[in-house]
Amino acid sequence: MKSTVMKKTMYFFAVPALLFYLTFWIFPITKLFQYSVTDYNGFAQTFNYIGFDNYRALFNGGTLGNSISNTLVYTVVSVVAGNLIGLALALLLNMKIRGKGFYRSISYIPTLFSAIVVGFIWSYVYMPDSGMIATFLDKLGIPNDNLNFLGSYSSALYSIIFVEIWKNVGTTMIIFLAGLQTVPNDLLEAGRIDGCGGWKLLRYVKLPLLATSITINTTLSLINGLKAFDFPFIMTNGGPGTSTNTLIYSIYKMAFTEQMFGKASALGIISFILIIAVTAVSVLLMNRKEVSA
Amino acid sequence: MKTRSKKRTGTLLLALMLTLLAGCGSGSNGNQPANNGNASTKPEAEASAAATADTSSSTKKVTLTMMVSGTKAPDGQDFALDIMPKLVKEKFPNVTLETSKLPDEQYFTSIRTKLASGQGPDIYWVFPRNASLGVLDMAKAGYAADLSDLAFWDNISQGAKEDMSYEGKPYGIAGGLDYLGVYYNQDLFKQAGITEMPQDWPSFLEACQKLKDAGITPISLADKDPWFLQFGMYQIAANVVYPDEMDFDTKLQAGEKSLSDPKWAATISKMKELYDKGYVVKNSLGLGSAQAAQLFIDGKSAMIFDGTWDYATLTAKGAADFTRGFFSLPANEAGQPTYVSAATAAGFALNAKSENLDVAKEVMNYLFDGQSDLFKAWTGANSSISVYKGVALNHELFKEVNDSYLNNGKSVYFPNQMWPTGVAEEMEAKFAEIIGGRKTTPEQVTEAMDAKFKELWKNK
Repeated sequence: MKSTVMKKTMYFFAVPALLFYLTFWIFPITKLFQYSVTDYNGFAQTFNYIGFDNYRALFNGGTLGNSISNTLVYTVVSVVAGNLIGLALALLLNMKIRGKGFYRSISYIPTLFSAIVVGFIWSYVYMPDSGMIATFLDKLGIPNDNLNFLGSYSSALYSIIFVEIWKNVGTTMIIFLAGLQTVPNDLLEAGRIDGCGGWKLLRYVKLPLLATSITINTTLSLINGLKAFDFPFIMTNGGPGTSTNTLIYSIYKMAFTEQMFGKASALGIISFILIIAVTAVSVLLMNRKEVSA
Repeated sequence: MKTRSKKRTGTLLLALMLTLLAGCGSGSNGNQPANNGNASTKPEAEASAAATADTSSSTKKVTLTMMVSGTKAPDGQDFALDIMPKLVKEKFPNVTLETSKLPDEQYFTSIRTKLASGQGPDIYWVFPRNASLGVLDMAKAGYAADLSDLAFWDNISQGAKEDMSYEGKPYGIAGGLDYLGVYYNQDLFKQAGITEMPQDWPSFLEACQKLKDAGITPISLADKDPWFLQFGMYQIAANVVYPDEMDFDTKLQAGEKSLSDPKWAATISKMKELYDKGYVVKNSLGLGSAQAAQLFIDGKSAMIFDGTWDYATLTAKGAADFTRGFFSLPANEAGQPTYVSAATAAGFALNAKSENLDVAKEVMNYLFDGQSDLFKAWTGANSSISVYKGVALNHELFKEVNDSYLNNGKSVYFPNQMWPTGVAEEMEAKFAEIIGGRKTTPEQVTEAMDAKFKELWKNK
């Protein structure tokens, strides 16, 4: 039986890629499942299978709850605030103003730096007494004795989220800008003729047409937030105490400091499931709202 | 017919791919030579090894790899990176020593991965007892070689040798001895009217109060770096937990004692007292170790808790010129002696799976022969107090504490050397809640430590 579309032998050409995919992607993931039921410590090659003890310990201990709640706060704030600011920037820079290109580039610059660089810069900005903010307030004569952004329980997490937003708002803005270019002029004109003001145009014409961009941006920052690691790692080490421990940071700490690879794998699988679930639900919800021009 | 030949081509191609993949795969299995150094020297080394298979190692070309942790000294003067490779080459022309140095965190991660994948360096840095990357773990996992047959054990102090031993055999060569203590600013002490050095906890608090009343920040600590807390905490523990129970940790490991012991709660409480009374620099949770050290050398704080290893940093010239002093934190009650917090420093271990173990041992014998240039360079560069017979104390600053250590024998190691890694981190994270003004009690800190200890210890 001859196929008119493709010779069956052609499937063999997919084999090398498939093998690579299986060896370097699927196999390690299944290994993770295996390690999650052991007491593997990360270097000694002997370990025991201990059933679901790791999971049990995680659900009974405080780490899981604490890091999930930190991660969710991180995600929600960075998704909502990041998208609002990104959208506002995009709308501003879509107007007919002089030096538009310059401002667009400026807003995109933070995105170009690596997280390490950004983290270090901001650690100095936030530093008490001699940091940038403290010095600035000094110049203005505002007392800043108790200013301790990264060192206080109430502000550390939000200070980090702010940096995350600062770094990523450029990307969000670019995607919104691109979306705004696809809004057809005739629709806008029709709206104006029907008597829409600026706000109504935005609410009833632009935003619905931007739904695709909103889905992309929300999904991207959602995933970004759920796997937050670099800023807690660079700027606070998860501290003070455990107030900036995110899921991924807890996994790192568990595996590499406490040498509990088994338990860390279990936590990895829990966050894997969590991230997939949250992302899937939000994508499904948002897909329903999309319209096309 | 045509399809069949095509099928055959496909199968052939598949076979070819598989062979290629297999070729790739063999690169990562365990029977590679342990040195992953310069690839171009390897065939050469193997060829000459084949030619002179039965002659001694002194003629064979060998590349040894070495990895240590720490921060790099200025260019050209780093012992591990610059001096040691040069001097080894002078003594053993056939041996090339390739060294690398990583900051602690990165070192811990990298060395474990390398050892686990069979790519470990020939010489690497291990820590005493149960510390992170401790000699006990390394020996038990079969990564560290038994070093009983090295030539110089008689010249190394017994305690240092024991701290690097597993089941009675040495698996590591201690780099020296480290003290925890208080670096203090003598000028500021005088300015505050402190005439007598505090000998016990009440008088220490009194001195802090005098400093505070004089408008001087008594102590600068770097709580943004969680590990910094240990520098004060272990000195207090040495005077509270251990004096009447030196085998506390042995009992702890056997399950007869627990970290929620009232003595540990008392230790935490004393540390908490320093914060509660405002003796520690404000906003310490926002200060990193470099910034805390800067406050001290700029003369803005009178004391800093730290170890002998930070001598260079803390004696560097800052904004103010003043005389430094060093004493053991007197956390003891009045009338009791002060215990020194002293522990064996990290040191060299050899990779048990190395092909060049014999050569590495020769290098170690040369390094610790007590007279060679290499040995002199080593003692000169080493910031720890030497545990090698006949080597003089390196810094006058430590004389008082060192004398008290040698003469009274009242000293306690750093407790985390008997804990699995993770317990100290738990203590730091929990105690940070106290510093941050949360309502955590010392008892809650000890309970968290105890829970972490029990969880981690059963994996040992």
